[in-house]
Amino acid sequence: MNTPADEGNDNLRYAEYVLGVLDADARAAVAQEVQTTDEAAAAVALWQRRLMPLTEQIASVVPAPYVWARIRDDLQLDVPAATVRAQPGKGLWNNLALWHWLGLGASAVAVALLVVIALPHREAAPVTAETTPVKASAGYMVSTIQQDNGVTGWTATMDLDRSRMVVVPAAPAPLASGRAPELWLIPAGGKPISVAMIKRDAPTTITLDPSLLAKLGPTAALAVSVEPIGGSPTGQPTGAVIAKGSISGSTEVHDHVVRVATTLGATTSRKSV
Amino acid sequence: MSVTSPAEREELNRLLIQTGRNDQKAFAELYKRTSSKLFGVCLRMLRDRSEAEEVLQETYTTVWRRAAGFDAAKASAITWLITLSRNKAIDRLRQHREELMDDPSKLEQTVDDQPTPAVDAETSQEYGRLQKCLDALEPQQRDSVREAFFTGATYNELATRSKVPLGTMKSWIRRSLMQLRVCLEQ
Repeated sequence: MNTPADEGNDNLRYAEYVLGVLDADARAAVAQEVQTTDEAAAAVALWQRRLMPLTEQIASVVPAPYVWARIRDDLQLDVPAATVRAQPGKGLWNNLALWHWLGLGASAVAVALLVVIALPHREAAPVTAETTPVKASAGYMVSTIQQDNGVTGWTATMDLDRSRMVVVPAAPAPLASGRAPELWLIPAGGKPISVAMIKRDAPTTITLDPSLLAKLGPTAALAVSVEPIGGSPTGQPTGAVIAKGSISGSTEVHDHVVRVATTLGATTSRKSV
Repeated sequence: MSVTSPAEREELNRLLIQTGRNDQKAFAELYKRTSSKLFGVCLRMLRDRSEAEEVLQETYTTVWRRAAGFDAAKASAITWLITLSRNKAIDRLRQHREELMDDPSKLEQTVDDQPTPAVDAETSQEYGRLQKCLDALEPQQRDSVREAFFTGATYNELATRSKVPLGTMKSWIRRSLMQLRVCLEQ
């Protein structure tokens, strides 16, 4: 058996490296050795085996869903984002599985209802979907923004009363690095108007200015183009248009939302816990 | 989720090997099963959520690229993964070290509290043995080893935090490491 006296300086350095007490230069030197000599690699591996069980004391913390989305993006993987369970316990808004389900499986109406339920209301009324009637004059418009392959990229819900649009990613295709999706409003027969840069891995909430709000309607469409990270430099789409959707909505949608909200409210709140 | 049961370890080994063969589904499953453990480790060391997220992201992109080099005969997948995330977290800490050293008040804030025991308290045999060996150390030295491991602090930082000379901290840690080694080999 080895005794402490056998413990050479080198072996101690490997232990110190694994423990994490070496400064940057000394660390780099050991890391280099591990790459180049088998002895160093074996000694470090042994110390890892000895010390790593300590990490069992560290409580697990579920990372936010967008971390996986970023990894997928970085590596250009095609596995769906929803392979990974969403973060529990953070409420409806951060429940990616639910957003995903809404984006893929449910109608835009269901997304609208979720906006009604999930966003803080200006009125201080308690947000219980079963009992709270949505403000009678509320108007909503919705759009399912489809990619060329027919898969929904995003769903947009426009809340006219609050001048707000929420764009929820469903299954947007990966983009080249350094590129980002930009959302455009295209009035009938008009030029595209930039709405905002939108996220691929989380809902984007956009405040709509009155001139934009006035142009929303069944004759207008939404489109997403691929642009530099900061947005199109020209004010018009410069990259490929990857997804499009028509806008539908107003009163029938709203009535439907209220009906669905009443029936689904309980379901969604159960899902969120 | 426990990553300590033998069956789960085997499964993680398999998933990491599959990941090394460019199996995206296996990689996604591996992420699902291990990311919260690794994120806990990163958070513990970096104490900043967005930094921990960045390091977690770097860790898994490296996993995808290096998984082919994983050898289950040398280390278990979970050890391999945790080591990778710790190394990245420590590298990140070293980058910040100078700014921390410039502002001693920040250093004070990073003094670690006692580690919280894992919630599900289901720990491995190896953990039990290591814990017994740690318990055999002098309390001050044991605390220094734990703090070093959980916070990734350098000798200098540890000495400052414990208000002891650098030489004292070095000899505490080195003596502890040697004692641990002997104890674990018994």
